[in-house]
Amino acid sequence: MLRRLTEIRLVLPMRLVSRWIIAFLISLSVSAVTVAQDENEFSAAIEKGQGRTVKIVGASVGNVSGYATGILVSDSGDILTGSGVLLTGNRIRVMLADGSLHNATVVRQHRGMQLAQLKIDAKTPDYFDLEKDVVVPSRGEWVVVLANAFKVADGDEPLSVNLGVVSLQTKIEATRGRNEILYSGDLVLIDAITSNPGAAGGAVLNTEGNLIGMVGKIIESNETSTRLNYAVPSEILKRFKSGSLEEPSAAAAVVTTEGKAGETGIRMLRLSKSTDPAYIDRVIPNSPAAMAGLKADDLIVTLAGEKIANIRDFNQVANKLLAGAEVVVVVKRGTQILQVNLTPEEKK
Amino acid sequence: MKTSFLRIAPMLALVMGGLELGYPAGQAIGQEKLSGVRLAPKAFLDAANKIQASLVVIEAFGGSTAVQGKIAGIRGQGEGNTTGVVISSDGLILTSSFNFIQQPPVVTVVAANGKRYTAKIVAKDETRNITLLKAENATDLTPPEFLSPDQVQIGQWAVAVGVGYGDSTPALSSGIVSAIGRGSGRAIQTDANTSPANYGGPLVDIRGRVLGICVPFNPTNPGPAAGVEWYDSGIGFAIPVVADADWLNRLKKGETLQFGFLGLRLKPKAEKLEIDKVLENGPAGTAGIAVGDVITKINETVVTDESSLRLTLRKYLAGDSVKVSFMHDNAEKTVEVKLAANAQVPPDPPPMPMPMPMEDPAKKDGK
Repeated sequence: MLRRLTEIRLVLPMRLVSRWIIAFLISLSVSAVTVAQDENEFSAAIEKGQGRTVKIVGASVGNVSGYATGILVSDSGDILTGSGVLLTGNRIRVMLADGSLHNATVVRQHRGMQLAQLKIDAKTPDYFDLEKDVVVPSRGEWVVVLANAFKVADGDEPLSVNLGVVSLQTKIEATRGRNEILYSGDLVLIDAITSNPGAAGGAVLNTEGNLIGMVGKIIESNETSTRLNYAVPSEILKRFKSGSLEEPSAAAAVVTTEGKAGETGIRMLRLSKSTDPAYIDRVIPNSPAAMAGLKADDLIVTLAGEKIANIRDFNQVANKLLAGAEVVVVVKRGTQILQVNLTPEEKK
Repeated sequence: MKTSFLRIAPMLALVMGGLELGYPAGQAIGQEKLSGVRLAPKAFLDAANKIQASLVVIEAFGGSTAVQGKIAGIRGQGEGNTTGVVISSDGLILTSSFNFIQQPPVVTVVAANGKRYTAKIVAKDETRNITLLKAENATDLTPPEFLSPDQVQIGQWAVAVGVGYGDSTPALSSGIVSAIGRGSGRAIQTDANTSPANYGGPLVDIRGRVLGICVPFNPTNPGPAAGVEWYDSGIGFAIPVVADADWLNRLKKGETLQFGFLGLRLKPKAEKLEIDKVLENGPAGTAGIAVGDVITKINETVVTDESSLRLTLRKYLAGDSVKVSFMHDNAEKTVEVKLAANAQVPPDPPPMPMPMPMEDPAKKDGK
């Protein structure tokens, strides 16, 4: 075809007509190219993501996997992933998208959020800038996840891509194995399945390829007792990388009550099981509960904003009340729901 | 001249490219496809926001928190609140029976208007894993629009909404309708994530209309926690709610709904449905069906093997009367049988152990 074009140029003078013929011929080739490309809604994000994610292999213990995914966060080989057993062995190896293998060292870890930062000795110009390439998502928005669940991607094969939507961004109380993990911020819950071995460290992107967060380690929600599919938000990743993410235990350790233990005047039946609903057995006369109008046989529904499912919950919350600090109590009396304010007094 | 050519050339390229393909312009069609996919998330969010007015947060108090072992693969029932859907302005609420496995003696619900009500369990449908609640002293709750299964298309968008994660904003998961009529006509199947986070909550279409109530469900092996092992797996179920449905009317009257049985056992591995044993004073027995008879039809539906018999019977409930046709001495007869809940034929007792023969000392070293 090119030859034909040249022929036209040589044979015919550059008149208007020939230009239109050339345009027509070019359009044929252009249209052929546009049809062949066949992109979809998620191609841009996938292409960006594959270039900026890595595979990690390390130590394994029993049936805890020694492999994970990671995201590049600097041009000098910094990688974020989930912390854990795989980082404890002698050798941690990272494979970049181009198939090159590198040894990695651990730069920092965060116990509370189960995060780790690794470093390899290589130039990595294609990475997620945690200032510019990040985004806070909306509920319902598409998420494109790139991760190596079950180590399906072997050698230098590209990572697996999953699609889902943002379910909810919220504070989560979760457990990992037998330990209760305290997550010190919100998690982005998604409905793409990420709760699988090897997926931790994967990239969770929006359709533009910007980073919503990083796939976290497998954890179980205390609310639902189910494994959570979620991303650690990029805001938390940014603070972690800069070294300014506090460990939750440091904050939680400050449980020293500035004040004296508070007495409500509410008494439960001594013989009841800790799993029984928290019915008031008696109210001490002239106590704060009596003055607030609470009566025997009222069922405590919430105390100081916490749901009181049973006597154990009541004891837990009641023991933390401070004298002089007013709290709201919601009770069920027959078929009525009542709300009162109550100021605990000093315990005698 | 030159300028006009330069301006027009790209447009011409597009037009020519489009004409060649037979489309108005190849690239314009691509953009249409893209924007449809792009708009879907906004529609998911709008649907979830619309249905929020009809959701309730269900709070349970007391009950056996120490559930032995795991409930179908999860660690034990979670500590959190669960979800329900208002079906009448005076406080009737449908939810999943999974939410009450621990049998809490006290239940309250918090509606979208912010008010908390005490609630009573009215009745349970064990065949659908659905529980009907009544919020007490409720007057202005907002029921949503419900769709019946014949208004639902396989492949259409479906969004599951629930408050089980504990946030006052409901979480949502999107997917499609995978199948209709599962469990002998009881459930819609979806690949949106369903789990304790939204059991009892609605599965809605793109316009916020309810396709069904999310429940754990196993079409072949029913039970209150059956199907929980499929949570967040791509296999989820929702029970459609049709205004005058027989099961809903019976629940409103306080009736517990269970599967119904004929009270007979079939000859195993036989080519036809030959009866091996009839429960004494059971439904089939009292209707005159005997050992040796061969079942041919249930209510005009021909049944040929155990699977088709089970699928057909599962359409009905205990207390329903069905016409059973069977061959007795080469003549077809038909009788009305009232199905009963506990009419399973118990297995035969194991045979008495035979005494061991005495060992013959002479043969000890022989073969």
